[in-house]
Amino acid sequence: MNSIETKDVHLYYGDFHALKGITMAMKKNQVTAFIGPSGCGKSTYLRCFNRMNDLIDGVRIEGDILIDGTDIYKSDIQVDDLRKHVGMVFQKPNPFPKSIFENVAYGLRVNGTKDKKFIEERVERSLKQAALWDEVKDKLKKSAFELSGGQQQRLCIARALAIEPSVLLMDEPTSALDPLSTAKTEELIHQLKENYTIVIVTHNMQQAGRVSDYTAFFYLGELVEYAKTKTLFTNPKDQRTQNYITGRFG
Amino acid sequence: MSFGSNPSSNKSKRLSQSIAFFIFRLLSFAVVAILIVILGFILVRGISVISWDFLTEAPREGMTEGGIFPAIVGTLCLVAGSMLFAFPIGILSGIYINEYAKDSWFKRFVKLMTNNLAGIPSIVFGLFGMALFVHQFGFGDSILAGSLTLGLLALPVVIRTTEESLKAIDNSFRIGSLALGATKWQTTSRVVLPMAFPNIITGLILSIGRVSGETAPILFTVAAYFLPKLPTSIFDQVMALPYHLYVISTSGTNIEASRAMAYGTAFVLIVIVLVANLLANWLRRYFGNKVKMH
Amino acid sequence: MNQLDKELLRIKNKVEEMWDLVDFQLQSGRDALVNPNEDLTRKIIKSGKKVNAYDIKIDRMCENIFALFNPVAVDLRWVLSILKINSNLERIGDSGESIAHMLKEASLPIEPTLLQESRVLEMYDATTAMLQNVRQAFLEENTDLARQVIKQDKILNKIHAKTDKMLMNYFQSHPDNIAQSLKVSGIIKKLERIGDHTTNIAEEIVFYVDAKVVKHKQKKKKKDKGEE
Repeated sequence: MNSIETKDVHLYYGDFHALKGITMAMKKNQVTAFIGPSGCGKSTYLRCFNRMNDLIDGVRIEGDILIDGTDIYKSDIQVDDLRKHVGMVFQKPNPFPKSIFENVAYGLRVNGTKDKKFIEERVERSLKQAALWDEVKDKLKKSAFELSGGQQQRLCIARALAIEPSVLLMDEPTSALDPLSTAKTEELIHQLKENYTIVIVTHNMQQAGRVSDYTAFFYLGELVEYAKTKTLFTNPKDQRTQNYITGRFG
Repeated sequence: MSFGSNPSSNKSKRLSQSIAFFIFRLLSFAVVAILIVILGFILVRGISVISWDFLTEAPREGMTEGGIFPAIVGTLCLVAGSMLFAFPIGILSGIYINEYAKDSWFKRFVKLMTNNLAGIPSIVFGLFGMALFVHQFGFGDSILAGSLTLGLLALPVVIRTTEESLKAIDNSFRIGSLALGATKWQTTSRVVLPMAFPNIITGLILSIGRVSGETAPILFTVAAYFLPKLPTSIFDQVMALPYHLYVISTSGTNIEASRAMAYGTAFVLIVIVLVANLLANWLRRYFGNKVKMH
Repeated sequence: MNQLDKELLRIKNKVEEMWDLVDFQLQSGRDALVNPNEDLTRKIIKSGKKVNAYDIKIDRMCENIFALFNPVAVDLRWVLSILKINSNLERIGDSGESIAHMLKEASLPIEPTLLQESRVLEMYDATTAMLQNVRQAFLEENTDLARQVIKQDKILNKIHAKTDKMLMNYFQSHPDNIAQSLKVSGIIKKLERIGDHTTNIAEEIVFYVDAKVVKHKQKKKKKDKGEE
């Protein structure tokens, strides 16, 4: 079953044609990785799925993007509702200057949840899902800034999980982390895919190999190749993919 | 190849560095020294008149005797009035400019105008305040007219402070909040403003310091030459410390006799400004820690 | 357990399944030699196809490990040795299958004196023991056991070296049973190959556990001695 489907998506930054007709479908409860050189459009494409590109002046999007069957660019779609459904984790850990507890509770609070008990339970569950609970359960009232970089990133994942999205977008989630934290985060991704559809942008091809079931290679705003990760890394069909993953680019 | 293979060039390099550092250090000390001299000068000359009576009594005998109580009260009224006017408008404009306005000609125009406003000499504000508030609106020489004029003067500072404080907040916090389904206003009020608050409050208090020392804008709009009684409404005239200082040092009935009074007044004014600055510092630290902890 | 460990475990399980098949081929060959059983020989031949499928599958899994996980150190040595263990197992399976073909064509049962003098059953027992030992060494990462297996191969070589002489004698005394004795000779040759492959597997185990290369060492030693 497909969770995200896009048909002929074009995106323009002013005059710049950043995405050139991307058609692809991402399967439910699978990890899909986007790889490609800087500026290939992979992050831009990812940010279409929760309409983060709306925040940038002069962006124009054409084509259809369906998430769990709904066209997310339809006029009656409320962006904040969409973003509850499609969570996102960023390159740099960006916890709020609040306590660990309040960071995770934030998404619930802004969406109108008042029930204290419910919030407490959900915070605990999300922290457990993000494999952070054991490390922070005794200091939930402490500032999130006291955590290490890797813990902060897992806190951001917990924060995204607290509002129960069905899709989790990850934009280079480990590029600011040390190898050990990276390994932990990758392990987490493997566990999370049981409940979430995950799309991850990564500069690190080995990471795409380790964590993803499907891999898409982008180049100059085009989707060059999209296949099972095993297939793409052992027998790519397109010469450009081959050149990129073997490090013989340009 | 070995270290120090060209000793002569290294020597001159080090020498020029030492000289440069020496000059920088000297100039920094000079700045501090000037400040200490000014404060010391005023303290030494003015301390003799400072007393409880000086702070709580009205001036007498052609302002050569008595105290400056009405002027202190007047200045506090004016500061409070001007801030009541400038803070809400200035903070909201700052939020609008930095958080909401898209990068359009209008935003650029507003920013340009704010900057120009900040550059207008304060006497021009005084003149404008007299024309608009005193005459056009018929407020007369009053606390209201003076506060509004001072408020106008403070407005660009408040807007700029708010804007700069908000700009200093990394965009990743806004994006992080929006990505969790928060609206723009929730993001601004729950994440961005609490983070910017310490800096905003500092800017505001510094602007209080500025406003309390201004003479020109109140000259034509509120300040009384000699008015020993306290105001009862916002349409009353008041005395104010900077103007009082001006009066007794330049056009009083007996300038020589009131010299010490002038230094005492200056001392009180400086203390008010210093206290405001220290308060700003303390508040920034206090809220700075609070924002980090919660 | 991280993702790489999980993948490696999956490969290990596959290798064990393949090993079961190969074991079955070897042991059933001996059974069919002693008690002729056409069903059994057919089964042995059939499992040859399955072994080939495992061979391809394990190769593919190793390829994916290299491409997706970039293994290093012990993981790298493990996958490298699995590749070789896999191909050695596949050849053992091939040999087992060849023996089954020979049994199918031979007129059974084998004449008792031939069975006795050729020492083919003795060889069978030695190879079976070696294969079981090396499997145990693999599962326990036991290099001492693996090194013992390498030594055990000498028994096979000894018997094999005497085969030609034995056959000559047998031809003379049983000129009417040349066909059978040629088959037995063929089986002995296959068993000797199986012993070599088993030794190779043992060497791979030493390589991945201790990071030491033991293959080609014995010949060198002999040469050194010879020169002395």
